[in-house]
Amino acid sequence: MTLARFVRSLLLAGSVICALGAPETALARPGIVALEKNQYLHGDFTLNRHLNGFSDGLKSQGEFVLVPATGLIWQTKTPFPGTTVLGPGGIVNIDANGERSQLGTGAAQFGIFVDLISSVLAGNWSALENRFHVEFSPPGDNTDIWQVKLTPFGESAIGGQITDIVAIGDDFVQQVRLNKPGGDFDDITLSAQQTANLPLPKDKADLLPKADPK
Amino acid sequence: MTGRHATIWILCLVMAAAWCAWQIGGGHTRIDADFISLIGQENPGDTDEFNDINAVRHILAQDSRRAIFMVSAPNRDRATNAAADLAGRLSWINGTEKVTTPDDRAGRLPELMAFLQPYAPVLLSPQDRKTLMAGNGEQIYQRTVQNLYSPASTVNARSLQQDPFSLLPQYLGALAGYMGEGGGVVSQNGRYYVPVVTSLDPRLAGSDRDAQWVSDANEVVATLNRNTDINVTRTGQVFFAAAEASHAKADVQRIALLATTGIVFMVGLVFFSWGPLLAALITLASGILAGITAITIIFGTVHAIAMVFGSSLIGIAVDYALHYVSIDPARGSAQQRLRLILPGLTLGLLTSVVGFAALSISPTILLTQIAIYSVAGLIGAYLTVIFLLPFLPVQPVRNYLPIRRSVAILQYAQYRITPPTWGRLSLVVVILAGFGASTFFIKGDDNIRNLGRGNTALIAQTNTIRQILGMGASPMFLRIDGPTAEDRLQTEEALRKRLTPLLANGALDGMVTLADIIPSQKRQTENIDLVKTGLYAPYGQKLAALVPINVTPPSPATTPLLLPDDASLHVLPELANLQSGKSDLVRLRGVQDVAALKTALNGMDNTQLIDPASAISHLFGQYRQWAYLALGVAMFAALLLAIFRYGLRDGICVFGAPAGAVLCALVGSFALGVPHNFFTTMALFLVFAIGADYVLFLAESRHSSHDQDTSLAVLLSLISSVLAFGLLATSSVPLVSEIGIVIAIGLIAAWVLAPVMAGRRSANPVGMENSLPQSTKQSPHTANSAPISKDGENNGQI
Repeated sequence: MTLARFVRSLLLAGSVICALGAPETALARPGIVALEKNQYLHGDFTLNRHLNGFSDGLKSQGEFVLVPATGLIWQTKTPFPGTTVLGPGGIVNIDANGERSQLGTGAAQFGIFVDLISSVLAGNWSALENRFHVEFSPPGDNTDIWQVKLTPFGESAIGGQITDIVAIGDDFVQQVRLNKPGGDFDDITLSAQQTANLPLPKDKADLLPKADPK
Repeated sequence: MTGRHATIWILCLVMAAAWCAWQIGGGHTRIDADFISLIGQENPGDTDEFNDINAVRHILAQDSRRAIFMVSAPNRDRATNAAADLAGRLSWINGTEKVTTPDDRAGRLPELMAFLQPYAPVLLSPQDRKTLMAGNGEQIYQRTVQNLYSPASTVNARSLQQDPFSLLPQYLGALAGYMGEGGGVVSQNGRYYVPVVTSLDPRLAGSDRDAQWVSDANEVVATLNRNTDINVTRTGQVFFAAAEASHAKADVQRIALLATTGIVFMVGLVFFSWGPLLAALITLASGILAGITAITIIFGTVHAIAMVFGSSLIGIAVDYALHYVSIDPARGSAQQRLRLILPGLTLGLLTSVVGFAALSISPTILLTQIAIYSVAGLIGAYLTVIFLLPFLPVQPVRNYLPIRRSVAILQYAQYRITPPTWGRLSLVVVILAGFGASTFFIKGDDNIRNLGRGNTALIAQTNTIRQILGMGASPMFLRIDGPTAEDRLQTEEALRKRLTPLLANGALDGMVTLADIIPSQKRQTENIDLVKTGLYAPYGQKLAALVPINVTPPSPATTPLLLPDDASLHVLPELANLQSGKSDLVRLRGVQDVAALKTALNGMDNTQLIDPASAISHLFGQYRQWAYLALGVAMFAALLLAIFRYGLRDGICVFGAPAGAVLCALVGSFALGVPHNFFTTMALFLVFAIGADYVLFLAESRHSSHDQDTSLAVLLSLISSVLAFGLLATSSVPLVSEIGIVIAIGLIAAWVLAPVMAGRRSANPVGMENSLPQSTKQSPHTANSAPISKDGENNGQI
């Protein structure tokens, strides 16, 4: 059960990143592009994983697709191709040969993260505010850049895994930093973000998990 | 008896009261109402059986501390928020130790990871082990590389150094699968279900506070259920126990009120004085006080069942008081009246004491406690009748009451139907034959599932929670024996392999063994070899090229093996649930096909399938057997006492009354469909003791002038006993009702048989044949007020 919570924490972190990568409703936060209900968001990412005590980090690049209420596709192109899919059914890793391996088996609880993403996209921060202290710095007079800092509650599941999350953006989230206990941190840069209408292209749609109908 | 005797006895009772107050009030002697603590307190000699019961006790103790709630709502946020609300409210209830929701922080995880990280090379998930054994290390390498760049990666600086192939997260993932659904949110049919698991204070179990906790928790649930879109269900032993206790308590309170009112009304009507009522109360209170004093001197912990049965059995003590107050004051002074009943009183006490003492021949603590409580209580009541009752005011029975006339008529009727000695002896033979036959036809039914009333609402909620969350209600488990922990772990590994097909085909929903968490040393050694040869050797350098660390193969010489020791227990307290003494326990989830499970276990000598309900039923079956034996010993002792007192033939006849009453209770209740178990056997004890009192008092008075007083006392005793115990038959709780039925049948049979078997044909005590019309016209007490000094002397010799 502990692992389940741990995985959930990580999923939450990943979801939050992607959620922040998505545009928000204009009503929720000024400066963020609203994402309609039948739209999805796609773009490129660069992930720099810094490990405390080592000068060289782990750098990867690729594409992401976020479908509100359905899941997140994280496709690494370099240095090694591979896909991670986060959805209601858990985390699925798909290697370059198409082999799938599941982490966090069969637990519909992972749907919570998709719900969180949807909440963010809908401008409903309450889902995050239940788990994070949210400090939002709106755009200034001379800039469109806003910043949000999410600090997990001390007693939340994610609190043991994430120290805090800082995101900045304009129309879209541009950068996210996940600070972790022990001094490690991940820097994620999102670029070339665009919204598009559903349905997804078939190759992408096939990657997404199907929600457990039971 | 002099005033000095009375003073000394009062001082003794006061000291006893002070002692009891100090012992129980001060917590020096604990009243244990926890059913679980009763289990396994004795060593039945059979090691296997002892281990079974010990394991059951362990499992039940663990389960009794857990209450599971399931919150559901149409959307996830609503459900999780309601769950958080519920958790907050539950945590405020006195007796709640910990509340866990899916959103709780994974506070233990860093500690768990830090603890297990050094063991990463020896802890392989079954899938990784299978992969490496198949020579497919490439898959794990690919996964490792992918994981390095995954947004949901568990990689950090430390884990990369100690577990570069990220084996530990896989191991923990498999572990979470074994543990079940992980306690997460479940989506089903358009609703979201969130579990809230509450750990209860261990001191709550069996105390009065558990009922209060359940009441508070139910109130919280009701509050949340007032929201139309929220539904909260619950399960757990604590709810079932409280529901059963609540029903039983309500029934017993109702019956006690009826019985008390009836007895007070009866005594008041018959004597029209508070004196007899006071005498009965003082006698009963003294008996209870003496019983508690004795039991608290000997035992540090007294079980509530012993207290309840002890108190019931010394309800016989009330009869002692009734026999004294029923003697017409016109028959002489208090001491003279006392001497009239003293032989019967003493013989009745001796018979009961021998009977209850026979209970202590069993090795069970419970029966020993009941025996000591009852013996001491009866002696206390006896001494109170002797020392104190003569100093209380008495009133003669009101002669205008129909009861006097009824007694006279009944006495005459009994006199008419009393057979000669050969006839009574023949009846005894029939009774003994009846016992012989009943051993063939009447079988015990010790199934504890039949004792309770059952709560359909709770059962339905339990099933719903089990279906949706897969949590709760997993009564069966396996006990793994073995001389060493390593042997047991290897057995568990073989067991998992054996049961894997059942897990796959749904015959078994899930299982968790200690070896799933801590593999055997043999397997850990195999694992490190697999990791070295299948991962580090071919892929270590390739991985090293990608990460900023040196990837060095683990050394079997320096890599520690994980052991089920105190250090592991400290970090993984859940392990305690999987161990019991020198055995390991395997928890099973959802046993759908018991036959298939038993078949799969064939040949595994060190593995025992245990069903707690069956094990406890078996234990109570043993209690019943011991109680039967004790009852037999008691009856034999009663026979010897009766022969010693009345001679061979009359003694056998006198013995026939309580024996016949027990037989009638046994057969009659069986005919009414009452299952015979330990508790109904204890009710037979009560029938025997009261039945013996009836016949002994009547036998002692059969040649005396106070014969009709005794008959009246026996009738009053019957009415009070039927009111006190017989009304239990109206209870909605099967256990309580069954005890009541047995006692009611037995006491009525005893009352019918007692005068017949007491040999009343040897005299015509009231001269009924010639004087019935006359005697019913005049005051019986006047008619029977013959000088008694000679009677008193003659009969006060025992």
